[in-house]
Amino acid sequence: MFNFDWLSGVSQETAKMIFLGLYALIGFLVLLLPTEYVYEGIAKEDRHWWNNLKIWSIAVLVILASIYNHF
Amino acid sequence: MLAGIDYFIVIAYIIGMLLLGLYFKKFVNSSEDYFLGGKSLPFWAIGMSIVVSDIGALDFVGVSGQAYRYGISVGNFDWVGSVPAMLLAAFIFIPYFWRGGMYTIPEYLGRRYNQKVRTIASVTWILFFALDLGVLFWASAVLLNVLMGWPIWISIVATAGVVGLYTYFGGITAVIMTDVVQFVIMFIGGFALVFLSLYEVGGWDNMVDKIATMGPEYRNHFDIIQPQDTKSPFPWTGILFGLTFVMANAYMIGNQSIVQRCLTAKNEWHAKASMIFGSALKMFIPILVLFPGLMAVVVHPGLLDGDQALPMMIKSILPPGLVGLMFAAFFAGLMSSVDSLLNSTATLFTKDIYEPFIKKGADDKHYLRVGQITTLVLLLIGVATSPISSDFPGIYVAIQTFMSYFQGPIFAILLLGIFWKRTTEWGGLSALVIGIGFAIYLNVFKEQFFTIEDPFLYISWWSFLLGFIVNVTVSLLTKKHTEEQLQGLVFSSKILVKNKKL
Repeated sequence: MFNFDWLSGVSQETAKMIFLGLYALIGFLVLLLPTEYVYEGIAKEDRHWWNNLKIWSIAVLVILASIYNHF
Repeated sequence: MLAGIDYFIVIAYIIGMLLLGLYFKKFVNSSEDYFLGGKSLPFWAIGMSIVVSDIGALDFVGVSGQAYRYGISVGNFDWVGSVPAMLLAAFIFIPYFWRGGMYTIPEYLGRRYNQKVRTIASVTWILFFALDLGVLFWASAVLLNVLMGWPIWISIVATAGVVGLYTYFGGITAVIMTDVVQFVIMFIGGFALVFLSLYEVGGWDNMVDKIATMGPEYRNHFDIIQPQDTKSPFPWTGILFGLTFVMANAYMIGNQSIVQRCLTAKNEWHAKASMIFGSALKMFIPILVLFPGLMAVVVHPGLLDGDQALPMMIKSILPPGLVGLMFAAFFAGLMSSVDSLLNSTATLFTKDIYEPFIKKGADDKHYLRVGQITTLVLLLIGVATSPISSDFPGIYVAIQTFMSYFQGPIFAILLLGIFWKRTTEWGGLSALVIGIGFAIYLNVFKEQFFTIEDPFLYISWWSFLLGFIVNVTVSLLTKKHTEEQLQGLVFSSKILVKNKKL
């Protein structure tokens, strides 16, 4: 049990899909965050798309997913 | 061995760092300045500081060594082992800590559970950081010994002297701003080595082809996902359960030296952005620290000690001048790790141990002085304990082994503490004590329980799970906290829709 023997039947390809699925789930949850919340701390007149932290997060997740997809 | 130009670069770098660090002495007038930089720092500096203090000497030497032995799967630590946890920290945990005006993670645990939990967590981190310092000093000695022929103890004492001086005077502002310069030097030096090494092995594709023909032990060298039955320490089950779900979160959310940096941010947006910016930078780290180890498989096959892979590559690939830059990059990583540990440990001791137990209600200058003295004492402990790490086969695994003792249980009580109102002080305390005890037990008897070479990922998962179960069980059996006690300490959707109101 301690060695996760019960998951020995899962192939490397399936395991990779689990990781990619995890990144997709995180990205979905980030998109659900209220926009007001991710801008908190910035004055209303200074809020632009480039300081939207949702966009930053999605970009990072896309790069991460592409690395796992490649290797 | 270094040439004359290399010595010049290294000495100039060390003196430059010392002067830059000491420049920030003038900004330290209170304990908040010393521990939180007066809450004035921008996201980009904090993000770089998070990354550079995390990679340090361990990754340059240790990860290259692991990559030499096990291949690209060690990159999981900087990819899946960092990014998801940093996003969770940025959007959920950091806003709570920042809005609460906290100095330490145990301070949150003290407010959420009780003083005992705070003290145990703080003492545990202080012990870990002290051992960590020793490992870092030893890592520097390994490289210095190969490159410059310096005796082990001289290199350890020289590192301790330089870093200790600017950390002592400049506090966390000096730590973060020197980290920014160290980050730039590390990236320049690291990428120089990677590009020249790639040229030496005839390009990426050529390297992959050569390694593939070197025997069956290299069959999975380019698989980031390792099978469950691998003998390496990185089966995908360990990476998912132990690293992604537990250790990464515990490190990015529960690690004082990481979170404290975010608490220096000038406002909440900068605090969140620092973590996300750091996660983006983190994805480049495996290129710097992992690729040289892979390329060493081709250039220097058959090394008995994988930790020699990077020093051997530096010696054989880099021309004079770039060797000095690479060494400065290594030294940058080492210094940034040591200075952050020193400052964070001083914060933990002053805020969680000294202030509540030894001298309450003293004036602010007194606590500033205590923080500085603690920095010096820690430095001496780190130097004295550094030979311990030589007893472990891989430097990087050694540090993960230390961490796995308590990462799981601490993350279990942090997670339940912030997401479940019903968690009680006795639940948290029991989970912490039993979870840490269980992790130590599994480590001591690991040959009886585990089949992989070094099961620290599995140990962190199982100790987390036991801590989680114990916390839930004991909490349900004990008296719950009142709404007033939990105000501002438990996650509520209000934080997402009502700004500044927890």
